[in-house]
Amino acid sequence: MPDLSPFYGLLAALLPFDCLQARFMQQALAGLLLLAPMTAVMGIIVVNFRMSFFADAISHSAFAGVALGLLLALDPEWTMPAFGLLVGVGIMAMQRSSRLSSDTVIGVFFSAMVAFGLAIVSRDRSLARDLQRFLYGDILTIGDGQILALMGLFLTLMTFQALSYNHLLYIGLNPALARAHRVRVAVQQYMFTGLLALIVMFAVQAVGVLLVTALLIVPAAAARNFARSAGSMFWWSLLISLSSAVAGLLLSAQDWARTATGATVILVACGWFGVSMAAAGLRREQPV
Amino acid sequence: MFPAYQLVEAAVRFEEVTVERGGISILDRVTATAPKGSSTAIIGPNGAGKTTLLLALLGEISYQGRIHLNGNGRAPRIGYVPQRLTFDRGMPLTVAEFLAMGFQKKPLWFGIDTTLQRRAREALALVRAEHLADRAVGALSGGELQRVLLALALRQEPDLLVLDEPSAGVDFQGELIFCELLDDLRRDRGFTLLMVSHDLATVTHHATHVICLNRKVAAEGPPRQTLTDDNLTAIFGMHMGLVNSRSMPGDRTVCSASCCQERPDA
Repeated sequence: MPDLSPFYGLLAALLPFDCLQARFMQQALAGLLLLAPMTAVMGIIVVNFRMSFFADAISHSAFAGVALGLLLALDPEWTMPAFGLLVGVGIMAMQRSSRLSSDTVIGVFFSAMVAFGLAIVSRDRSLARDLQRFLYGDILTIGDGQILALMGLFLTLMTFQALSYNHLLYIGLNPALARAHRVRVAVQQYMFTGLLALIVMFAVQAVGVLLVTALLIVPAAAARNFARSAGSMFWWSLLISLSSAVAGLLLSAQDWARTATGATVILVACGWFGVSMAAAGLRREQPV
Repeated sequence: MFPAYQLVEAAVRFEEVTVERGGISILDRVTATAPKGSSTAIIGPNGAGKTTLLLALLGEISYQGRIHLNGNGRAPRIGYVPQRLTFDRGMPLTVAEFLAMGFQKKPLWFGIDTTLQRRAREALALVRAEHLADRAVGALSGGELQRVLLALALRQEPDLLVLDEPSAGVDFQGELIFCELLDDLRRDRGFTLLMVSHDLATVTHHATHVICLNRKVAAEGPPRQTLTDDNLTAIFGMHMGLVNSRSMPGDRTVCSASCCQERPDA
């Protein structure tokens, strides 16, 4: 495994805070700096596709993925994203082939995943302790292996977004219109879903199942209020996501705070959302 | 004597197209043709299956039978203007971005290419909507949105332009200008126009070919031969009176479209 120490050293030099001198904090910062741009850009499409419930269902399949890994004596860190990917593609396939409404399909998957996870955990009470860290998440325990995996996912996802962002916006606006314009809607949707499932599973480890959707939705929702175009929405979402991640990590490490990092990141992002609502309100009041 | 368009090839040929939903027949063995370069209007009452036929053509719904599209050896480019665009109006997206996003490879984060920006403005100018370029798509009125959708369809340089109820919600200083505009564009660019409407007077005024549909094809051909009292009664289920295919919508008495100038006898 390559030595990431120079990378961590660079981060510590760029942000010379006392709390960032510990290696686990540098690893957490690296993880968040990789995760935040991905959730920012994916969040834009999630909001445009109205897929927040989908992201919720994937995150809740984390329980089943972890439980399955523990049951089969496989590493849960890999069974969880693999299972999430399977569930994501399964939901998309059923949505496309069934006449049921999108939220009904997701609701069925959601319930099945939670029930499956709970059923396995109920067989062995000791599993419940392992699952708790996925419920709340803990970015401070992220290791070099996960950071390398995040780097790989970052390159893949950003390349995909650079190539597909415009077409994904088009599909989000109206799939029939996009199809008539020769956009390969099904291919784009499956690729987006697969990558979203993977990013959600990595984000679960940072902020936990309960808050993962917020990491996707809140920066994008705030960006919507600030932005006047699809191009500027991307930059707003990136700014809000990155600043929330860094500020959340630093704040949570302060002696007076000592809060969970994931929750603090989300609270900062929600603060941004509050400001964006005020900005949108002011804009509406301005005479045209 | 047959009109010239009957001698030319078909742009679209529907063959025995059948669509059923939940055991109910929506289209029953529809066989019809849109001649190449024509302005073909599909007319019929509400629930006749007009939009369903268009959706089958666009590949949006499954159907039995065959639909042949003539693209001169390649897949024809289809421009589509839906009757209503259901979309999230809160989405921050400018009209210029909307017109560029299907063409530009570079993500919109880096702005719109100068060439694409110019082409977007040219397409908007064609539909007399250049002033809308910097507006948010979600803030457009129904009529403005129809114009922008038409500009988008024209940007695709279509071989076939498909319009669903083109005059619904259009505020083009009256529906007539919209029809004149479409007619002039069709003649300039040589595409085939296929539109659906229940507004007989407006659409048939400029149509060169009419398909009368009420789940089945009741009649097909040039408006003057097709829009007879018998055919209209057959598809609309009541006496409609003879529709004058040259009739003008509203109180208009003059049509400036080139079709009218070239066919004063009609």
